[in-house]
Amino acid sequence: MSGTPGRPVGLSMLGIVENAELGTEPYRVDADGQPYLPVGDGGVVLGLDLGDPVFSRTADHAAPGACIVHPDPVARHGLTTYCCVGNTAVVRTGDAAGAEGVVIGKRGERGRVIVALGQDDLARLRPGDEVAVHAVGQGWRPAHLSPDVSVMNADPGLLSRLPVSVAEDGSGISAHVRACVPGRLAGNGIGRPAVSWDLDLQLRPADLGEAALLLGDLIAVTDIDARYTMGYRRGWVTVGVVSHGASRLPGHGPGMTPLLTGPADVLRAHADAVGHGGLGWAAGQPH
Amino acid sequence: MNVGTNASDLIAQVLAGEVWPPLADRHGHRVGADGRPFALPGMGGVTLGVHCGDPALGYASDHLEPGASVRHRDTAANNALQFLCCTGNAVRVTSGPAAGAVGHVIGQHAYVLADFAEPDLARMAPGDQVSVTAVGQGLALPDHPAVVVKNCSPGLLSAMPGGTAPDGRLEVHVTAVIPAEAVGAGAGMSSEYANTDLMGAYPGLPPAFSLGLEHLRIGDVVAMRDADHRFGRGYRADYLAIGVISTGQCRLFGHGPGASTLFSGPAEAFRLVTDADANLARYLHESPRSAR
Repeated sequence: MSGTPGRPVGLSMLGIVENAELGTEPYRVDADGQPYLPVGDGGVVLGLDLGDPVFSRTADHAAPGACIVHPDPVARHGLTTYCCVGNTAVVRTGDAAGAEGVVIGKRGERGRVIVALGQDDLARLRPGDEVAVHAVGQGWRPAHLSPDVSVMNADPGLLSRLPVSVAEDGSGISAHVRACVPGRLAGNGIGRPAVSWDLDLQLRPADLGEAALLLGDLIAVTDIDARYTMGYRRGWVTVGVVSHGASRLPGHGPGMTPLLTGPADVLRAHADAVGHGGLGWAAGQPH
Repeated sequence: MNVGTNASDLIAQVLAGEVWPPLADRHGHRVGADGRPFALPGMGGVTLGVHCGDPALGYASDHLEPGASVRHRDTAANNALQFLCCTGNAVRVTSGPAAGAVGHVIGQHAYVLADFAEPDLARMAPGDQVSVTAVGQGLALPDHPAVVVKNCSPGLLSAMPGGTAPDGRLEVHVTAVIPAEAVGAGAGMSSEYANTDLMGAYPGLPPAFSLGLEHLRIGDVVAMRDADHRFGRGYRADYLAIGVISTGQCRLFGHGPGASTLFSGPAEAFRLVTDADANLARYLHESPRSAR
């Protein structure tokens, strides 16, 4: 799967800051049958940053920043599909106009793009504000990458700022991640397109041993192939960035936006439970 | 099943539905596990020639839905139809040339799936109206408080073998035990809606894509390991979900033959008996294959 050859094309896309939404019944039901009120599932979330633990808040699918959408369902899928992790986002209207953020992931179903912004900027943001994203990355591949490995959802400048290295002899790519988790924990997102949907991981804090999973961490899922729609394939691995926090909903959990997928002997994932630095670490570094 | 129930407390509702046409978009193709595009029928409408007891796999099809696929035009009425219909409920055709034909619900798949005798299906078409006598949600087994029953009509329950075993567990006959790795699209949804697609069942593809499920049949009762479907569908070690295979062949990767949930609870609450005949064809058809 060598992807589409050629220079990637950038788009200037319009997203609208999402309103947090609920159905006519406020409660969701967790795996033990307990009702709960989902807080933080979309819209503008304050006080949560890249680098915060995924299990640290009483929240449902909370993402660090603002979710942007589009009122037209088809344009919303376009926004979700073409925006890539690492893309620059600029607020165009409202009190936060001019504030600059970065895309840190996406979510599936109707589609959402997650934009991280400074807390002061987020506090000035209001649902309905316009955000422009310089969307670029789908179709991009790093030089020397083995054709067995597929790349998606990655700004062309992203991988070089993450603990990911491509072997110049074309033999493969290595990615240092917080943890490698088995594919049987993959939940919502399986069977859905990897370019427009995240993969929820049905994790509990105890599943990761000494590793504290942080928003923005890279994580690997074994036996999952994410070239197109995501599914089971023995010996394959998918690496992505943790883009939103935990959920009590059965089949849901911290969500990973896929970045790389390939055979496990070509896409080599190395778990570093304590020393890993992902997108949260990279965001603190100079460009 | 030889088991005490609250069936006498349940009420039935008559729900209206409509045979829904197959849907496609202008792009036509989707991508299979092998990375190749396909455009194949199977979902929606009236699917002919595949019934309970037939192989689930081996068709040039995607998301094969046996028989008639039923929805309601109104969103809220459709929600009621999808959530309240139970496997085994009677479905009666009320318009068109097949009016009067009676079939039964075999599961849900964002459509209510209704199997009819082949001659009846051949006279049906999208737009035909049907009535479902919905009964079963709320069914409980007082002697098995850890087991939750979903989407199972009292009639189906009484036709199934098993029941309260001498050791107090619930004996359920299944054709197969499914590994947790197989759970595909449908994880994270409500237990009363659609079904759990099982991956690892793509005949003809390399062994890396296989979990040994290519032998499943439509209507098979199966046990899903490490699955808790009591309040939605998710992974939980040492729980079981028992379901019935209500959809068949998929090419779309991450999808596969789908199981509609019937029971769920801690694994220790069940006694599984492997039984090649644990199929709706045996439980819901008077003379399963010969009648057609």
